[in-house]
Amino acid sequence: MADISHSNAASAGAANAGTEVQDKHAAAIALHKRRTRFGLLFWIPLGWLIIVAVAAIGAPFWGLPAPDEIDWAYLQSPPSEAHWLGTDVLGRDLLSRIIWGARVSLTVGFAAPAIGVGAGLILGMAAGYYRGWVDEVVGIAIDSWLAIPGLVVLLLFAVIFGGSLFMVCFSLGLLFIPTAARITRAATLNYAGREFVLAARALGASDFRILSKEVFPNIIWPLIAFILIDIPIAIVIEGSLSFLGLSVKAPTPSWGGIIAEGREHLSTAPWISLYPTLVMFVTVLSFNLVGDAIRRRLADVREGAI
Amino acid sequence: MGETILEVTNQRTAFATGRGLLQAVDGVSFTLERGKILGVVGESGSGKSVLSRSIMRLLPGTAVTGPGSRVVLNGQDLMQMSEGELRRLRGPQMAIVFQDPMTALNPVLTIGKQISEVLTFHLKMGKRDARRKAVELLRAVGLPQPDVRVDQYPHQLSGGMRQRVAIAIAIACEPDLLIADEPTTALDVTVQAEILDLLQRMVRERNMAMVLITHDMGVVAGRCDEVAVMYAGRIVEKAPVTELFRNTAMPYTAALFASIPRVTDPPHRKLDAIEGRPPDLINPPPGCPFAPRCRFAEEACRRTVPELEGTATHQWACIKPLNREVAA
Amino acid sequence: MHYLFRRFQRLFIVMIVVTFVTFLLVNILPGDVAYEMAGMDSSEAEVEAIREEMGLNRPVLIRYAEWVGGIFTGDWGRSFINKEDVWHAIMQRFPVSFELMILAQAIALAMAIPAGMLSAYRPNGRGDRIIGAIAFASVSMPSFMTAILLIYFFSLHLGWLPATGYEPLSEGLWANLKPMILPALSLALVEWTILMRTLRVEMISVLQENYIALARAKGMSNRRILWVHALRPSSFSMITLLGLQVARLLGGTIIIEQIFGIPGVGRLLIHAVYTRDFIVIQGCVTFFALAFVTANFLVDIAYAWLDPRVRTRGAHG
Ligand SMILES: Nc1ncnc2c1ncn2[C@@H]1O[C@H](COP(=O)(O)OP(=O)(O)O)[C@@H](O)[C@H]1O
Ligand SMILES: [Mg+2]
Repeated sequence: MADISHSNAASAGAANAGTEVQDKHAAAIALHKRRTRFGLLFWIPLGWLIIVAVAAIGAPFWGLPAPDEIDWAYLQSPPSEAHWLGTDVLGRDLLSRIIWGARVSLTVGFAAPAIGVGAGLILGMAAGYYRGWVDEVVGIAIDSWLAIPGLVVLLLFAVIFGGSLFMVCFSLGLLFIPTAARITRAATLNYAGREFVLAARALGASDFRILSKEVFPNIIWPLIAFILIDIPIAIVIEGSLSFLGLSVKAPTPSWGGIIAEGREHLSTAPWISLYPTLVMFVTVLSFNLVGDAIRRRLADVREGAI
Repeated sequence: MGETILEVTNQRTAFATGRGLLQAVDGVSFTLERGKILGVVGESGSGKSVLSRSIMRLLPGTAVTGPGSRVVLNGQDLMQMSEGELRRLRGPQMAIVFQDPMTALNPVLTIGKQISEVLTFHLKMGKRDARRKAVELLRAVGLPQPDVRVDQYPHQLSGGMRQRVAIAIAIACEPDLLIADEPTTALDVTVQAEILDLLQRMVRERNMAMVLITHDMGVVAGRCDEVAVMYAGRIVEKAPVTELFRNTAMPYTAALFASIPRVTDPPHRKLDAIEGRPPDLINPPPGCPFAPRCRFAEEACRRTVPELEGTATHQWACIKPLNREVAA
Repeated sequence: MHYLFRRFQRLFIVMIVVTFVTFLLVNILPGDVAYEMAGMDSSEAEVEAIREEMGLNRPVLIRYAEWVGGIFTGDWGRSFINKEDVWHAIMQRFPVSFELMILAQAIALAMAIPAGMLSAYRPNGRGDRIIGAIAFASVSMPSFMTAILLIYFFSLHLGWLPATGYEPLSEGLWANLKPMILPALSLALVEWTILMRTLRVEMISVLQENYIALARAKGMSNRRILWVHALRPSSFSMITLLGLQVARLLGGTIIIEQIFGIPGVGRLLIHAVYTRDFIVIQGCVTFFALAFVTANFLVDIAYAWLDPRVRTRGAHG
């Protein structure tokens, strides 16, 4: 009797242990899947980004009031039929201003990292490939660059060059050079000593050819991952800059600018600040989520390829 | 019969891995009495470390303990204990010395602190007393200048000295069971014997029981009372040490004997490692796990897994044991 | 030793480059200082007179050398606008910015350390995932937006803390701290995430170490293992980052000081930017770079405290 109950307990235990094992196994696989498949946390933010992008690109065609059109009947009015997100102190339609502001944010968000990574790529490849004094000079330049807070650099540029959209993109782009250059330099160092590069060199290939044909294809992935991180960062910095009134000039609306304008009226008209804050937050979060999902996928594809 | 300190029954430990279930320890049973030393010998990967961690109940989250596994320490069933209860046993009742003294000590804490924290934590000693006791322990394990060393950091000590510190930590609360997991594998040959002698002396002086794990048959020779040979997560032969040497039954054990380094060997001579590789523990072959590498293997060996059999003192898991044609 | 010397050398060159480039930008690019000072409708002669008076006609290199020499002797020039001594102006405001930064870092660390530990303790566990999600949201929220929300809730809605203002320490500790809480929190709510992630990654690998296994085998509690055994060996990257973050944080204080009306160096700089007070801008930028370099040295010292291997090596020369 005792024996039977014992074996029963044992088999029950075995069944339990079996499911426990299966659970752990399934969890491990699910974790892997969750990390690599595009899930809701990819598609929903992507959807939002597409909405923002379409709204911004088609801004003149939606039949909205112009972003600087003053509606005297609705000064500082809360959301209503006429103005879905309300109006600011000057009676300008907030929805329209947010949509037009998105144009600035998105332009800067894509252009600045592209400029920075482009320049960083050239500097980093040069430093990693030629070493010696080139490396030293680039290193000092990067260190100097990093020694000044990014926002201070931007302030300096803003005051010297003024606030055109082009200048904002350009000076913001400069901020992304150091990291891009470091990544490129490390990767170039890594590849420049490999056999296929040495072989190409021995065969008399030009430096340009080697860098563009042999080295570049190998460092493009880390840089793409890096750009994905940089887009939301660029949007945030542009927001800070325009919050300080040092980005594009008024009356061109920008998210940071609208938020700053609402700051004074936070107690009487909180929507002026809060709606653009919300939109900007969701947009930046979406870029982060989408970027993160793509980076994981990239890492996975590359691991799989090896 | 002496007092039983440790009783392990049908211990099975597996790991959930990406490829499937890895059965690292597969039905190990033994008992250990006070004052005795059990040698556990086996190739790398045979499950010795996992066994030692199973006894201490220090397994990672991916580990699954098989049903029916029982570890009883001083009459307490460890499987029934909560993590908090187990914590109170680790240190005062059971302790372990790891293989690599270079990584087993915390680099940012003084060795004095690493010893005394066990005393303050478990024995509720005051700071001053704990420090004095730490110096005493360092002296007991033969560390020169213990009152200077006590304030030094691990990186200021040699490998052998660090292992002495690790032993001092292990014996600080006078445990009943000491597990030494390849305590000399990472050390210079010259200090290996010293450390083993020290362990042996500590066990005898303090009347503990010890599980001495090694991959080197030479280590267990003069020091153990009984030896268990492990292969692929199982005990495949177990006997008092002289009996094992004299009447080896498993071909695997014989192969381990053949790989003992000899004094007459030129230094750094590559040992006669056993040919072939240990079996895949996720998809083990049918039959005796050693059969694919065994010179004596027959058709029958590849069909059924041999059970541990033999006499009360000497058991083996082999259907064709050496030197025993008549008995079989 | 050699390494430290090389670092010092590098930092010295960096300072030269930073000051020189700043000087160049401010002095020879469009928006001539003299024009700015003379005002919109002044004659060429007036402008020339100002140039002459300020020595702006002499070669750039000489003027740079003079200015740098001044930096070492404490003569950072005088504001074009209100003739205030630049060094004096910075020094008067620096303690305020410094307090804000220290408070922000302290809050960020107080959030990052427990959160990082909890995450590292069971990677991919529930706690880790919740903390990860919060961190993800946090980094998507720049400090000026956080500031707006904090002001909206804690000042306007609940009325607990002031929305703007600053009280010197002489008014009492609480009076001084009270208006600093929201600004510091605004900065910390962004800063903590990167510290947390860095700590998490390093601690996950430290928790795999043998000495942690030994601490478990010694019967130490989880709490003790995390705080006493794992935290210090896990914080090297985090400490490095703390130093590097100073530059970012200085940038952050600019905007936060502006929002909360805190009279710090950031506010001085912004004001100088709005009024095109170049000599003050120049001074502030130099000061920020100096602060960054100093912070990096402090990080090296912190290393020595964290890692006895570095410490004793230093002691033996
Ligand atoms: N945490 C783990 N996860 C998965 N497999 C493990 C783990 N620890 C050990 N193993 C596997 O268990 C087997 C036995 O390992 P171990 O006990 O360390 O052998 P050894 O006898 O050398 O000490 C090995 O195959 C090893 O790969
Ligand atoms: Mg082992």
